[in-house]
Amino acid sequence: MTLTASTDAAALASGAPPTPPGRRAAARGRRVRPGQPWWFLLPALAVLTTFFLVPTIYNLVYAFTDWSSFKTAINPVGFDNFHSLLSSGVLLADLRTTVIYALLVALFQNVFGLLLALLLEADTSLNRFARVMFFVPVIMSALAVGYVFQALLKPTGVVNSILGALAGHPVRYAWLADTRWTLLYVALIHAWKWMGLAMLIYLAGLKTIDQDALEAARIDGATTWQTFWQIRFPLLAPAMTFNVATALLGSMNSFDIVQATTGGGPAQTTEILNIFIYRTFGQGLFAQATTMSLVLLVVIAVMAFPTIWLLRRREQVL
Amino acid sequence: MRKRLGATAAVVASLVLAACSNPSSGSGDSGKGGSSSWPKETAKLNGTTLTIWAAQNSNTVAKKVISDFESATGAKVHVVTIPDPYEQGVQTKVASGDKPDLAFWQPTASELTSLNATTNLQTLDGAPWISKFSPALRNITGLLHGKRYAALISSPAVEGVYYNKQVFAKYGITSLPKNFDELLTDARQIKAKGGTPFYEMGGDKWATQWWVQVQLADAAKQGLWDRVNANKETFGDPTILNAIKKYKALVDEGLFNKNITSATFVDQGKALLAGDAAMVMQVNSFFGELQASASTAELNQKIGFFPISPSGNVGTFIPDQSNAVVAFKTGDGKRESAARQLLSFWLGSEYPKYLAAQNTVSLETAVPSPATVPDALKSVAASVPTSVGSMQALAVANPDLYLNLANMLAGTMSPEKVASTTQAQFAQLAKAIGAPGYK
Repeated sequence: MTLTASTDAAALASGAPPTPPGRRAAARGRRVRPGQPWWFLLPALAVLTTFFLVPTIYNLVYAFTDWSSFKTAINPVGFDNFHSLLSSGVLLADLRTTVIYALLVALFQNVFGLLLALLLEADTSLNRFARVMFFVPVIMSALAVGYVFQALLKPTGVVNSILGALAGHPVRYAWLADTRWTLLYVALIHAWKWMGLAMLIYLAGLKTIDQDALEAARIDGATTWQTFWQIRFPLLAPAMTFNVATALLGSMNSFDIVQATTGGGPAQTTEILNIFIYRTFGQGLFAQATTMSLVLLVVIAVMAFPTIWLLRRREQVL
Repeated sequence: MRKRLGATAAVVASLVLAACSNPSSGSGDSGKGGSSSWPKETAKLNGTTLTIWAAQNSNTVAKKVISDFESATGAKVHVVTIPDPYEQGVQTKVASGDKPDLAFWQPTASELTSLNATTNLQTLDGAPWISKFSPALRNITGLLHGKRYAALISSPAVEGVYYNKQVFAKYGITSLPKNFDELLTDARQIKAKGGTPFYEMGGDKWATQWWVQVQLADAAKQGLWDRVNANKETFGDPTILNAIKKYKALVDEGLFNKNITSATFVDQGKALLAGDAAMVMQVNSFFGELQASASTAELNQKIGFFPISPSGNVGTFIPDQSNAVVAFKTGDGKRESAARQLLSFWLGSEYPKYLAAQNTVSLETAVPSPATVPDALKSVAASVPTSVGSMQALAVANPDLYLNLANMLAGTMSPEKVASTTQAQFAQLAKAIGAPGYK
């Protein structure tokens, strides 16, 4: 009895869920009935099939047709759409922009989130208030965030006014019209919106670090930096897996913030793939737009496996 | 396990077959029933409800017409605003089978095609109001393959130059330019004296295409777009490419505003009204923007309009979404007939009241325009009969020329690249439409 309880405690400490009674019995070698009848899953499966599986299958099918708003008939055309997309060069350029955007967001969102979590770790009432304030952008509409920043970053907007007051001369830099750096600024806006969520996950991760390990480090004379870098940061690996994976893969599918701030401009330097898909769909080329979203799906899946494998491997150090 | 796999495969296969049918194809009734009957304008329609789809900038256009129609016939009419981008929203809904009774829609052939007019829209041939239109405007737009699908309800927009009269006077320009070269001479005169001749909205982008299109007015009259439609000429050939290069040369010469790459539509209106720039190449919706911030008296005093083309003062007309209304084939004979009745009422006995409420120019010979219509709009309307069709009006598809031109202004695309990218997109759309020559 005590053995099971302490195994459970160790499992809990490392972040794994407690083993259910059926599994434990199976581990001991006895045949076990599952906890619930299989048909309890049907309602959830029905919703999943209707709203997820069916549209994905349609997506796959329509990519091989010539569906458009110009005519009623839909004819299969084989790999035509893929050929014309890959030969136009716009798809690959936009994919490159999307991957760079996703990498920037993953970097900044996690750095900001971790810094905030470390800063607001102690449970004082000021910290609690600050945590709430930093979480508010997460629940704001992405389009609203985009429009707010579009107004702030105008050449005659608030940001330039503040910079001008500090610099002593008028600043008229067009933040959202720089063909080189606007992608970075938009990634920063995206990271700002979601850093509250990253902060929350990192806070949870920090709280589950075994106090014994930290006390031992303190007794051994480790500095704050050493404690952080060599003990706390590695032990945050599960939180990092979640944050980096969702930030990277989630922002590959981004649309709202970029559409609201730059609309893909200037000169299509911030045109992430979803904006190109939106533009193509708007011209009535439904099949081509479907093909592009299929390509995006494949690219995200291809990126997901190595990313998650690498991050999970880090966790095994524990 | 094998049974489950088999069941899943069966589900997938049936979905695949179902997917190959178009949800919007069901109601394509050939319309032989009611299409030729035009009911009396005020026939009773109690119990009939009509839906009109409108965009943000056209949802109040029919307000007076609708309230008068409702009192005269007992019908109920709802205006539903489809959010911008309007065309995309309407296309998506129609593609999934959701149709209104009437909708505001750009009456050009390319836009009627993108709505699949032959399947989705009622033909309006034989309508009682057609003969009331002035002859020059009767068949200028709204037609596709010889059949009429759209009813023109306001003067089609025209691409031309809106100028600030006070700035012209300040820089000593006493007569309006009579062709493109004279326009440039005047512009250089303004620049030499320290003014900004032209203002362009490279930030919002969509107006950049007017500069190329007005330069093509002469060529359009000689069948340029027919040749492009048949794949006998491309955007990369000298006619269009030289127009693009000329636009770039003018910008490089410094004849435009310094913030050209970030300027917006609103900035453009403010700049012309305040006299920060002398001229703007724009369409009617620009004047609508000016009307939102200045009175008619002020506009009559400050703002004028003249059309321009390489060899003369010929405008390039580009009817937009707020200029015309289409009627859908909904499958419900009663509502289809009521929709036609509303159009007859609007362009028939209600027309003078509509013109007064909207303060817009009359298209019918027997009905005069209200005296309070701003002078610039009167000039625009006067240029329509002699105007030439734009790319939107005459080409079989509508590529994103404006986007590529905005990229050129930002320095990331050469004129040649603009032409080749636009041509590639045009070819893709033309192929999807099934235009001969682009298979």
